[in-house]
Amino acid sequence: MSDLSSPADRASPTIRCLLGMLGTDVHNKGIRTLAQMLRDHGIEIIYLGEHNTCEGMTQAIIAEDADLVGLSYSSSNYLDYTRQLIDTMREQGVGDVPVMLGGLIHPEDSDALRQMGVSGIFGPGSKIEDILDFIHRAVGRADEPAR
Amino acid sequence: MSQLADKAKGDKLVGEVLAGSIRTASRLISRAEACDSSITPILKQLFCKAGDPVLLGITGPPGAGKSTLVNQLIQHYRKHDKCVAVLAVDPSSPFSGGAILGDRVRMNQHAADPGVFIRSMASRGQLGGLAKATGDALSILQAMNFDVIILETVGVGQSEVEIVRHASSVLVLQMPGAGDGVQSVKAGILEIGDIYAVNKSDLPGADKLVTSLREMLQLSSKMHPWLPPVVAIQANTGAGIDRLVQHIGEHRDSIRSGGEVHASRARERVRYRVVEICRQLLNESVFSGAGVTDTQLSAIANHQQDPYTLAEKLVGVL
Amino acid sequence: MTKPKGNKDCEAPSEQVRKDSIEGVKVALSRTKTWGGMETREFYSSPHIDSDPYHAKNGEPGQYPYTRGIRPSLYRKRMWTLRNIVGYGSPEDTCEGIREALRAGTAGINVVIDALSQQSIDPDHPAFGVEVGAEGCSLPSARDMQRLLGDIDITRSGVAFHSTMMTYPLVAAAAIRQGKALDRIMGSHMPDHLQLNLSGWGNELVPADLCHKTSVDCIEYCIRNSPKWALGFPQGYDLRERGLPPHGEIAVGMAIVNKTLEDLLERGLSIDEVAPNLAWVSSADIDFFEEVAKFRALRRLWARTMKERFGARNERSMALRIACHTAGNSLVYQQPLNNLARAAIESLAALCGGVQSLETCTYDEPVCIPTAEARELATRTQQILANEVGAARTADPLGGSYYVEALTDRIEEEARATLSKLEEIGLLEAISNGTIEQICDQYNMDVERELQQHERVIVGVNAHQPEQVEQPERFTFDRSHTEAHIRRFIQMKRERNQEALHDRIITLYQVAKQGGNFHQAMIDALLSDGSIGEVWGTVRVAHGYSYDPFNVIQTPFVYGA
Repeated sequence: MSDLSSPADRASPTIRCLLGMLGTDVHNKGIRTLAQMLRDHGIEIIYLGEHNTCEGMTQAIIAEDADLVGLSYSSSNYLDYTRQLIDTMREQGVGDVPVMLGGLIHPEDSDALRQMGVSGIFGPGSKIEDILDFIHRAVGRADEPAR
Repeated sequence: MSQLADKAKGDKLVGEVLAGSIRTASRLISRAEACDSSITPILKQLFCKAGDPVLLGITGPPGAGKSTLVNQLIQHYRKHDKCVAVLAVDPSSPFSGGAILGDRVRMNQHAADPGVFIRSMASRGQLGGLAKATGDALSILQAMNFDVIILETVGVGQSEVEIVRHASSVLVLQMPGAGDGVQSVKAGILEIGDIYAVNKSDLPGADKLVTSLREMLQLSSKMHPWLPPVVAIQANTGAGIDRLVQHIGEHRDSIRSGGEVHASRARERVRYRVVEICRQLLNESVFSGAGVTDTQLSAIANHQQDPYTLAEKLVGVL
Repeated sequence: MTKPKGNKDCEAPSEQVRKDSIEGVKVALSRTKTWGGMETREFYSSPHIDSDPYHAKNGEPGQYPYTRGIRPSLYRKRMWTLRNIVGYGSPEDTCEGIREALRAGTAGINVVIDALSQQSIDPDHPAFGVEVGAEGCSLPSARDMQRLLGDIDITRSGVAFHSTMMTYPLVAAAAIRQGKALDRIMGSHMPDHLQLNLSGWGNELVPADLCHKTSVDCIEYCIRNSPKWALGFPQGYDLRERGLPPHGEIAVGMAIVNKTLEDLLERGLSIDEVAPNLAWVSSADIDFFEEVAKFRALRRLWARTMKERFGARNERSMALRIACHTAGNSLVYQQPLNNLARAAIESLAALCGGVQSLETCTYDEPVCIPTAEARELATRTQQILANEVGAARTADPLGGSYYVEALTDRIEEEARATLSKLEEIGLLEAISNGTIEQICDQYNMDVERELQQHERVIVGVNAHQPEQVEQPERFTFDRSHTEAHIRRFIQMKRERNQEALHDRIITLYQVAKQGGNFHQAMIDALLSDGSIGEVWGTVRVAHGYSYDPFNVIQTPFVYGA
């Protein structure tokens, strides 16, 4: 199977998306369901699960050469943690990797999140098609200048 | 870009890998996974700079605790200031091509440790328990001064013999299952291991499994200078890991002390690697380069022509 | 209407305005007549009881196997306890929150603890500062538990803790400091550690074997030392939230109960010492009839298990008490006021199912920590159910409904099937090898797929979306107390008697390492001002795990060889 992959397959390299949660949030239902749905749409998910620190997640982004990062929150600390993560990513030279957020994200926080560098925000009721669409666009854009 | 500029860029990347840049190494692995043949000159250079790490493959059935064991091994080696790289392979979905690479979760505690490099890979259709780019990834990692490189197979319970073609020491992980200890040992498992570990040694049936593995291995390895040891462990608590690591070290000493068996196995690994690279080259030149027309394929599909002749012709072109 | 058997006709209304004497609950039965004026009975049943196989299978309310409720005159004799959840910021903030809730009419307080304290992580942990006190009360030491309790005498009125790890040892240490005898303390907590592993905490934070050992130790210690302390066990609520159908809640919960009871009996306790102190922590989701059936099936399966499997003789072992919270995951972010309707119907399901205590979720739960207004509306919901709807009048009002009886049988059947599968694998193995997690993931995926394909419709989510809706105010509070609390905690760590603490930590390590019940040693270490992070970290190390589950900090103690 592998040896007979058609050239068309190689034209669009597989997307590697890192999914995880920061801090002590244990509500992993959403992110686990999203992981399965993205897998079923041909994306490779590097699943970090719950309980990551910003430092640990940044190292994982580097080691896994992730094309983008998805964070899920159901607790109210997302502004603090997202800012910490993006700062750490920039310090470590992977500030160009797009970051998307899902979970209980309030619309009134969107501007603050976008200002700190979040490129995709998917609050309650987001559709998988929109998330997929975002991923393909974000990775396409990020790919060209970086590599 | 000119060839010269390409070369300069390649040399820079080689330099970065040799200096231990995880970022550069991880990007090169991605390019290898994407079958980017422009990195071949870099891989050629890196291959010749390989160090002499412990190259440990770990295989075993699903749920045996492979990732948990890898986590304990990392912890153990880090205590002794050894740098560790891990390639953890998970299966790709045959339907969508996507994958959930979840091994990292169990090794999360080492995420921020600069002496540890964990890379998850999807099998991307490769059979045999490893990923297509495993060989290339190992070429990169071996040039990076890691003391230990661990290769963890998919673990879906199929025969995962490919591990022998990449790792110099193979650790087979088993756990006591339902039923008879002897029957729970899958066929083919006895031929590939250099070291055997029985996880969850606190469960009923573990002692029996250890004993029967020992007996079977004694019967099957008379000709070999190395009798594979069987160690009872508890990967979740770390019990038995010290002894396991000791055996891994002894196997490595045995390899270093030479002997025809080890040498021939090393040659076999290289032979396989060459065949694998050939296959990849053929794949690229035949299907991407030479180009096969739809007309030709239709003719074969209708049995007007045969695939053998076309294949001979294509290989002849090379 | 049919004639009730074995019960007197109804008491006069004037005698029926009863309040729970212990907790002074503010839901009361004000009327046994219907809204239209007809008198009602305590319960209704078949006129042909003697020949009825239905009766043999279900009994009457108050009769084995308690399908129809634990008492014949269910809420007429004793109302359910209205519970409200309180907890944020420093112990002092929460103490104030409790007073406020009491003023608003809640008497049953459920204290929630912040995620860090729940996970036994100290508030000075370098990685998680922003989370201290964010979604519950920060409670990292015995001194903080004393501050939370304030002037509450816990031998007279109990506080229910909606938490698991370290809760009882903290309460016990605070009680000892108050000079109270442990055998007189009242209140409750939820010592189901295995459930935590399944509900997103994972093996890193709470390894299955250590969870199980801790639950067994904790329950044993409580039963032997604080027999008035109630145990919310199993904690089925979080399992439902993680992704299980009603029968799955029963199956996984019973698997946890069975395994834990087996180990407790091996330690020499009798089933009739343990079971009466347990209450099932359950959820009421949005499917009204299915949830009513679940409570009925659950009581029946519990009663039979206690009697047939464990040989219980005491009726209190067989009659399961249920502590219910409406389903947080049924509430949606879109058009949040709709959640008032959802929570009201779920509350009614719980009462028709005969639960003993009920917390109604606030409508703004998907939006933020409950505001005072939302909390008040949750209390009013229960008061409307008690006084106007007539939910308290008659036990098991849906008993005998073809539909609900069929659902009851079906749920019990499915639960038994899943339970025996899990017990065949072995509960701990089914947890650590991911079997149960896969069941949850599959269920959640199915729900998601059905939502996408409109086989399942949630108003506001995949249909009937509102045009533009104002979001409610978000809860905010002054974090200055929290910051002072952290500083005070660091100071306590600096100023305590380090040698005395060290000795007790070493004792704890040794007891745990030798496999003994480490709860007394935990209490002793807390009494020497050890923090929850230090005490639990030591227990982790003794069991072969890292001190800090996040691996950011190292243990400050030298445990010896």
